[in-house]
Amino acid sequence: MIASVTEDIEMSKPSDLVQGTLDMLLLKFLALEPMNGFAVSQRLKQVSGDVLQVSDGSLYPALHKLEQEGWITAEWKTSEYGRRAKYYSLTRLGRRQLEKEADNWGRLSSAISRVIKLKEA
Amino acid sequence: MGPEHWLYTIPLRLRSLFRWAQADQELDDELRDHLERKTQEYVAQGMTQEEAHRRARLDLEGIEQTKEKCRDARRVRVIETALQDIRFGMRMLRKNLGFTSVAVLVMALGIGANAAMFSVVNAVLLRPLSFNEPDRIATLASLWKKSGGHGPVSAPDFRDWHDQSTAFEAMAYYENGDTAVRAGSVAEYAQVAMVSREFFRVFHVQPTVGREFSADETKPGNGGAAMISSAFAVSQYGNPNKALGQKIRMFDRTLDVVGVLPPGFHFPNKTGIWFPANTVFRDNEFRSGHNYRVVGRLKPGVTLEQAQAQMTAVGSRLEEKYPDSNADKSVAVTQMRDDMVSNFRLTLWVMLAAVGVVLLIACANLASMLLAKAVGRSREIAVRAALGAGRGRIARQLITESLVLALLSGALGVLLAFWGERALVALAPTDVPRLSETSVDARVLAFTFVISVLASLLFGLAPALQVWRVDLNKSLKQATPRAASGVIADRFRGGLVVAEIALSMMLLITAGLLLKSFVALQNVSLGFRPERVLVMETSFPASDLESQKRATLFYKELLREIAAAPGVLDCGAVRTLPGHVESAGSYWIDQQTDLVNPPHAVYSIAAPGAFATLGIPLFEGRGFNDRDTLDAPFSAIINQKLAAEAFPGQDPIGHLIHWGLDTTDPMKIVGVVGNVRQAGPASSPESEIFAPYQQHPGSSTDLKILVRTALEPSALFHTIRQKAQALSADVPAKFTTMEASVNENVAAPRFRTLLLGLFAALAVTLAMAGVYGVMSYVVGQRSNEIGLRMALGASRTDVLLLVLRQAVALTGVGIIFGLLCAAAVTRLLQSMLFEIKATDPLTYVVVIAALAGVGLAASYVPARRAMRVDPMVALRYE
Repeated sequence: MIASVTEDIEMSKPSDLVQGTLDMLLLKFLALEPMNGFAVSQRLKQVSGDVLQVSDGSLYPALHKLEQEGWITAEWKTSEYGRRAKYYSLTRLGRRQLEKEADNWGRLSSAISRVIKLKEA
Repeated sequence: MGPEHWLYTIPLRLRSLFRWAQADQELDDELRDHLERKTQEYVAQGMTQEEAHRRARLDLEGIEQTKEKCRDARRVRVIETALQDIRFGMRMLRKNLGFTSVAVLVMALGIGANAAMFSVVNAVLLRPLSFNEPDRIATLASLWKKSGGHGPVSAPDFRDWHDQSTAFEAMAYYENGDTAVRAGSVAEYAQVAMVSREFFRVFHVQPTVGREFSADETKPGNGGAAMISSAFAVSQYGNPNKALGQKIRMFDRTLDVVGVLPPGFHFPNKTGIWFPANTVFRDNEFRSGHNYRVVGRLKPGVTLEQAQAQMTAVGSRLEEKYPDSNADKSVAVTQMRDDMVSNFRLTLWVMLAAVGVVLLIACANLASMLLAKAVGRSREIAVRAALGAGRGRIARQLITESLVLALLSGALGVLLAFWGERALVALAPTDVPRLSETSVDARVLAFTFVISVLASLLFGLAPALQVWRVDLNKSLKQATPRAASGVIADRFRGGLVVAEIALSMMLLITAGLLLKSFVALQNVSLGFRPERVLVMETSFPASDLESQKRATLFYKELLREIAAAPGVLDCGAVRTLPGHVESAGSYWIDQQTDLVNPPHAVYSIAAPGAFATLGIPLFEGRGFNDRDTLDAPFSAIINQKLAAEAFPGQDPIGHLIHWGLDTTDPMKIVGVVGNVRQAGPASSPESEIFAPYQQHPGSSTDLKILVRTALEPSALFHTIRQKAQALSADVPAKFTTMEASVNENVAAPRFRTLLLGLFAALAVTLAMAGVYGVMSYVVGQRSNEIGLRMALGASRTDVLLLVLRQAVALTGVGIIFGLLCAAAVTRLLQSMLFEIKATDPLTYVVVIAALAGVGLAASYVPARRAMRVDPMVALRYE
């Protein structure tokens, strides 16, 4: 019983991504320019190749979470092809959050690379 | 998270909460847009329109599931779904009105009984006393080190305690009781207290009208001033302001009202009049004359433990200095509230625990009903799961339904509690302190709410957990929901029945032990015959020898007139009714020696005729008569216990005896009477000394007149009251009967026995319903198996045994668990039991037999139904 509860939770997590990293990536994309969910999913695939696999099913809940936190905001706009879509953009809070997370990430990754580069004695 | 964060998020949350329909619509649009774009992209990659659409949907891992996850990302969903769940729950409960009303009624009874019991516990044990900083008020008592008992304090000891301690801001002693008071035209009984100087400072109270006692009014031997309670002022003078300067007659003195205390202050007991100690009555200067109660207020920052340590040191000093009187005596400091309720604490907690067990059983019952329903709903659950609801979400829905059910029951339970609380107060012994303050207050409401929620978790969890066992495929395919219930659910249901039986067993054993001990208490030989004895309590106002002698004369006249009245068989008088001890102390035979540990006896005063009226047998010598006057040689009568103790193998008649009541002059033993249980049926007889009332006028101003009547005692109320009033208008009278007085003696055990009996009966009824429900369910489940067996040649008896065997197994396991619990719990009850052990084998055997019988009886009807199963019908059913 308990096991099936945790399964539920695991399903909503993107595979092969350190927890919280997806948030940071999304914030970064939206910092570059406001875009809709579909564009975000395209961009994720383009930029990272197939290394970071984020399914559409995980992407939207993540976006909604960021919106609920107040880091991104959404508005309905008519797109270049004349159809309405929900466009997400970064808020001031989001920008600050991104800086914080990027900092953390920088520290963490440089620490990890230092460890990995240690030579065997 | 700073305020800025909230600035952004609060509107969002509010929007999701109140405009969730719009938000949902937008979510829909957003995902549809995504799907379209994705499909376009796949088409651009060369797929067919259909294939592309399918792929896009697959990428989204189920549209409904993703939507559900997005909704979850909006945190207020918790509230939003709760509202939805509640609405849905209400709908489900309305749909099953029959089930709902039975469930709500059962739970409301359980919750209501708990709330009512808790309101009593709250008033008596939990609520702080209504004094300023009540936690700092302590009682101080003589601590008898050998026995561990607490007792009253002597005046010289009090003075030393007061002067040698620094832990207290104020310390005072008092003595109280009801006595004849004449404030208006007629004499009435009133509660009065004589109090020492710092008494009101202990409670931080000051008169609202008038002033406190002046230094002159508290000087030894002076007096003449009284302070009164607001209630007394209002009842006598209509208004506290009119009370100042009014005169009150009591103890043959006139006291001026100098102050009125604030409303609500009436300590000790329900005191209406306070007057200074050591004025009207001088302090008893004997260190072994333990007459007073002591209260103190701790200084700020001083703990009870520190005060106790200091007083223990003072006690040891006194023990060394006065070995004659203070050997074995120390000081006990107790917080006042704890001291007040110490006699009732165990009883009340046991009652609350017992009624809690009843609620547990009710929960178990409801859980098994809901479980059966949940199994029936497995199709509904499977459908919802298939439509995208997470199992957690469905479980939450089921728990919400239980919660709604429990809160409905709780609300009804509160209504029942209002009524139950009154019933409890009416049933409870009258001497429970603060019982009258019982009410359903905020704390009781909070308690009711909490137990309702806990109950809903208890009975709602099992069906909710069932959700995880529903097999989607099986449930959706099966035409009937029956086979979808698993082995685990059956085992769980069995577990519930076992729990119900075990809990009922515990209650039954407790009730059985109390009942047996109560019967023993009723059948004990009291040493006197209480039947048809009328009691008139009187109080003659007196304070000095002159007025005390007038009291003696009054009683002599009164007794003579009553004896002559028609319908009176015998009459007499005593200072204290059997069942109560007012005075006790040491005695010495023939000469008063300085024995370190003189023997102990109850001190009693009796008028001629008292023994005959009460039916106490005279074994040797003579009873008292009217020639035992103050100027005649002092006489005394002892009981058999004292005779056996002090005169083994000798004749006690003619020996001299000394006591410490009022005089140490020798008294000649003139008779020996039978033993009486002086302190009530539960304690064995003590040694006792009786002295004639005329020779002890100081202790004979408040006599209880005893009249043995030929007919109903109540028929003589009038005659006797008139005779008393004709003799003196200053003597108030209160009537009771000896039987009522004895009943009051056993009020606490009767209360316990009655309530626990009631709870146990409830528990057994619920358990019976539980066994019946489960066995019916089992028979229903197995009907085609039974049909098959019968088709293959099983006889009806075989079928009956098949079902009963299962019932016996469940009941048996329940009984075994119950035995273990009862053995652990009843040990706590030993102090409530009279003449039997908590392990009384007979009680256990009877209870086991009764429960086994109940288990079988409850499964008999379902078993009969199994016998009537028609193999053809049962087999065709699937």
